[in-house]
This record gives sequence, structure tokens and C-alpha cells, in this order.
Amino acid sequence: MSAQAPIINEFNLGPISCHSFNQDRTELAVCFNTNVVSIFRKAGAAWNLVSSLAEHDKPVTSVDWAPKSNRIVTCSQDRNAYVWTLDSATQQWKPTLVLLRINRAATFVRWSPEEDKFAVASGSRCISVCYFEEDNDWWVGKHIKKPIRSTVLSLDWHPNNVLLAAGCADMKARVFSAFIKGVDKKPAPSPWGEKLPFNTVCGEFTNGTGGWIHSVAFSPNGDALAFTGHDSTITIVSPATGSVQSVRAPYLPYLSVLWLNENQIVAAGHDCAPHLFEIKGQQWSFSASLDAAVKKADVGFTARDTFRRMDSRGQSTASNDTEVNTHHQNTINSIRVFSGTRDHVEQFSSSGIDGKLIIWSTDNIAKGLSNLHL
Amino acid sequence: MCLENFSSQVAERHNKPEVETGASKEVLLNPLIISRNDKERVLIETSVNSLRVSIAIKQADEIERILAHKFTRFLTQRAESFVILRRKPIEGYDISFLITNSHTEQMYKHKLVDFIIQFMEEVDKEISEMKLSLNSRARIVSESYLAQFN
Amino acid sequence: MAFRKIDIDALEEDALRQEELDFQEIGEPRPQHEVEAEVNSRAQEVRSLLQRGDLAGALSTSLQNPPYGRHLEAAKARNTQTVMEVLISIKVADMAQFVKNLSFEEQDVMMKYLYACMANPEQSNSGQILAWHEKLSEVAGPGCIVRVITDRRTV
Repeated sequence: MSAQAPIINEFNLGPISCHSFNQDRTELAVCFNTNVVSIFRKAGAAWNLVSSLAEHDKPVTSVDWAPKSNRIVTCSQDRNAYVWTLDSATQQWKPTLVLLRINRAATFVRWSPEEDKFAVASGSRCISVCYFEEDNDWWVGKHIKKPIRSTVLSLDWHPNNVLLAAGCADMKARVFSAFIKGVDKKPAPSPWGEKLPFNTVCGEFTNGTGGWIHSVAFSPNGDALAFTGHDSTITIVSPATGSVQSVRAPYLPYLSVLWLNENQIVAAGHDCAPHLFEIKGQQWSFSASLDAAVKKADVGFTARDTFRRMDSRGQSTASNDTEVNTHHQNTINSIRVFSGTRDHVEQFSSSGIDGKLIIWSTDNIAKGLSNLHL
Repeated sequence: MCLENFSSQVAERHNKPEVETGASKEVLLNPLIISRNDKERVLIETSVNSLRVSIAIKQADEIERILAHKFTRFLTQRAESFVILRRKPIEGYDISFLITNSHTEQMYKHKLVDFIIQFMEEVDKEISEMKLSLNSRARIVSESYLAQFN
Repeated sequence: MAFRKIDIDALEEDALRQEELDFQEIGEPRPQHEVEAEVNSRAQEVRSLLQRGDLAGALSTSLQNPPYGRHLEAAKARNTQTVMEVLISIKVADMAQFVKNLSFEEQDVMMKYLYACMANPEQSNSGQILAWHEKLSEVAGPGCIVRVITDRRTV
């Protein structure tokens, strides 16, 4: 397979605070740090605006598009969440307000794998697990409160649809049970525990050196949990073996973390480039910056060009110092799976404060890395 | 300079620079002090969505002290056009910057850092230049004054 | 308009308080005399290592198990002094080599002490500390500095 360069989509409409694709990746929901979520449809290499979801009155903090049921959930600093459904006759998105019962900003939202519930993290020190109540024709929320002591910054669902990981500003990552009677079937026992009534705390972890937990992610099979903190570490916990490994990165903190497969993790954040972490034997370690790996390939040309230019014009092309030497020009705040399966991600997308959305292929990661090893 | 859009968990539907309010202990980080000597220091205080950089400018003698004071006063009165300048310096420092997440969203992070560094260099240069011109002017004035008695 | 004088936010039971944060990050506070004894004996050990010219040994010994906690200001100051003594006895040219041989843990602790030294410029040789800082951040990167800011176990 030929290595693909990262696909860069530049919107120039302001910082992207969150993004989510639909199932076949032809449509994209993006929020440009405003109270509106814009829906774009792919047309060749371009993205055309098809509709705007404007119901919130404070900046939208998170958006998630359920692939199977084609519903969008958004949440915002105005303390509300809406579930949007597409009216097939008019092709309009219709909002339904969700009863979250929180009194601070909602910070993060994710559909569960089965798409029958979603969880909303909030600044009121709780997580609202929402499900549809047929009788009332209404989405209602049930709170996970204890022992959260600060704003919840991120969430991730376990593939079994019951367990929920939360990263919190009180320097802890926790795993909870979000079992809803009547919605969920009894889950199979996992390393996280066997009996799981709602709000069971299945694990509570810190990264050792403090820092808010910006992002959490379950491994593809759900047996391990990775989380990143503001202290530039990635911690990988596997309850089956009881191992807790913290990898200290020599870079700025990561805001988002994603498992490519059981052995590779990608993290991105304030350093503007996605970084790859790999397990070697039993030990996790930092292996490479994916952006640099891509750049490496054309260094041969540019170095020569540079010298030629210096020669012909008698000047050194001092690096254009407005631009950073990465594809993203500012902090990356979200990375998500673009194509492939949970245990074998082929492409992932990243969006950042610079208003760019970049699609990276893992194919070229392997290529880039082999170049590096040579 | 790692900030994010973090809305207040103390006041409902508000978004405040946490480093200024100081209401939630867990979102504040350890302050750092970088110093060359007793007189030249930089204090950096960070929080989840904002950070404060305060600078103590070198003031070796009385003249430099007066100049630095005048200079920083001139700047802070025009804080509006400097965007990140704080209207009042932190106690014990001469000038403070307040950078919030909205600044890092609008501007390149590394450019903000460059700006502050350049600013510090310029201030040092400016003050020593002012001191020189002040001295030479004083000499001219005194010369012409004394010339009358010749 | 009269401003409210009572800090009503302090009354909210859910809010994390400073002491709780300390407890969460540092654990049970250790008795003061015990820590002070440890710090003093380490100072002795480091000094004897320095006299024998074992700089690397002195450096890593001085960075072991630093005193954490809000009530241990005296012990912290003493330990910072010990680290300082080692740091100023190493020549600028040799710094990079020493930094490279430290473990990640030691690098993080060392960065904390560098900032602690810079916070009291009258007691330290700033030029040398800044040189150390430059060498250390070259090796350990900005991540190391970020950890100084985030880690509530201050020195």
C-alpha cells in the first residue's frame, strides 16, 4: 500500500472545539468554538455546509454522532444537552432537550457503543448517564456523583456498554458502572469487576505526579485503560495484571488519547503533533512523533533546495518563524477514529485550535517509522 | 502555556480566568519564579484556563527606578491596546500579563511567548537608553546653565 | 454597595479544599522530627561524598526522597541547601553529562529544586542555576517543566 500524506482540511472559521463524523464519513459535525454546530457534507475534496444546529446559547463543548442510529448529541456550557434527529421528510435536524439536571457547564458527551444511552460530563462534579424513557418520550439523566470532587473533563465507554471511564480535574481517572436497569443486559464479568450496580467505582487511579486528567480511553478489548494528565504523562492501567505504568513524555501535555490497536496508542495535545506510544515486551514507551515521521520523508529534497536557494540568492532561508514545524499550527484538542475498527484503526482525525481538521493514516505511520529506524 | 476553555465550576454559566478568582484550588498550579538576581524576576502563575506572567524589571539605581515606574505606568494605562497586559501589576512586580484561553485561541502560542520575551528585552533596552539620554541631557542642561557664569 | 465578606464558596461541601488536595497527592503527613532527621543525615552523607569527589553519587543521593508537605518548610529549605551545595560544585562543562545519567524521576526532582533555588535568588548563584536549567531542559524537554508546575508535592 502506498503511504498517504495526512489529509488537511482547513476551515478557517475559528478554533475547532470538537468534531464528529457520521457513519460513512461523508458528513461531519464541527463546532467552531461558538454556540452553533455546523454540519458539512463532503463534495470531492471540499466540505460544504449543509445545516447548522443552533439551539445552545453558550459555546458547545462536545458533539458525538451515533453511527448506527444517525443521531447527534451535543452539549454546551449552557448546562444543556440536545439529541438531534434527522427528519427524513424535510431533511432538517430536530432537537430534543435532555433532562440533565446539572447546574454547571456540560463538558463532554459520548454515545455508548449500543447507542441506547449517552453520558454527559459536567462541571457540577457529576456525570449524567442519559437514556430514553419510553413512557415519557423523553431523555432522562441519572447521576454518577460519588466520589467525584471536581469538573469531569472526559469520558470513554467500555465496549460492553456498561462501564464508563471518567477523567477528572481532581487528578483522578475513575472507572464507573453506568448500568441502567431495563436498558442494559447483565454484562459478562470482566477484569473490572463482576457485580456492577449503577455508580459502582471499579477503579480509581492517579498518574503519580498530579495534573488534571484530560483524556481517558479503554483499550480495544476493554481490559486496559489509558489516560493522559496535564503533567505530560500517559498512564496505562490493566486491572487483570494489576499493572499501572506511567510514561513520562518530554513534551507538553496531551489532551486526547486514542488506541490504534492493543499495542499502540496515539496522543495529541499542546505540542501540536500526534505522538505514538508503543508497548515493547511489557513496557510502554514513547516511540515517535507522527508528524515528524511524515516530514522526514521529504527532508532529502528540502535540505537540497535550501542549500540551492542559499547559493542562488545568497541568503539563508531562515525558518519562517510564524509557522510551527507541524501540520497543526496550534493545540490539538480532539482525536477520533476515522476509519478501521476499534482494534485496528486505519485512519484517525484530529482537530485543533488552529481550525484545521487533519486525517492521518496509520499506514503511513508504519512507513514513517520504518524510515526512522533506517 | 497550556490552556483550555474551562468554564467556572463555582459560578453558574460563567467563564472566568481561574488564576484571578482562585476559587477552585484544584485547577490552580504551582507558581514558578525565574530569577537572575534579587531585582530581576519573573513570576509565572498558571491555572486551567489562564496564566499570569509578572515581571520585575531591573532597577539598579534611583533613576532606573523612576524610569521603570513611568514606563510601566505609561503601558498599563494603555492596557486595552496591548490585549494581554494586566491593568494592575501583581504586588512586588512592575508589570503583569494575563493570558487567557481566548488569547491562545486567537493567536499562536509561540508568538505570544516570543512577544513577552521580546517585550522584556525591549524594556531593558529602552530603560538603559532612556537613562543614557537622560544623563546626557542633564549634562547639556548643566553645561549651558554653568556657561552663564563664565 | 457593601461587598460580601464571608467566603460562601468555602461552605460548599463538595468543593475540594487545600488540605484535602494535599492529602490526596502527598498522603499522610510524616512527623516533622523524623523528616528533619532524615534530611540532616542526608546532608551529612552528601557532604562526605562531595569531599571524596564522588559528584555523581552526591547528586543522586541529594535528589532521593525529598520532603513533601506544607508543614515541613524548615526541612525543605535545608534539603534545598543540600542540593544547592552539590549543584554549585559541578562545573558548567560537566553538567550535560551528569544530567544525562539521571533517571526520569531524578530529572523531575532536580527541576523542582532548580525552581526552588530560583525562588530565593539571594541564597543561590543564579548564573549557575540557569546553566543547569538550560542543560536539564535540553535533555528532559518541556514535559519536565510542566511536571514541576502540576506536581503538588512541592519541594
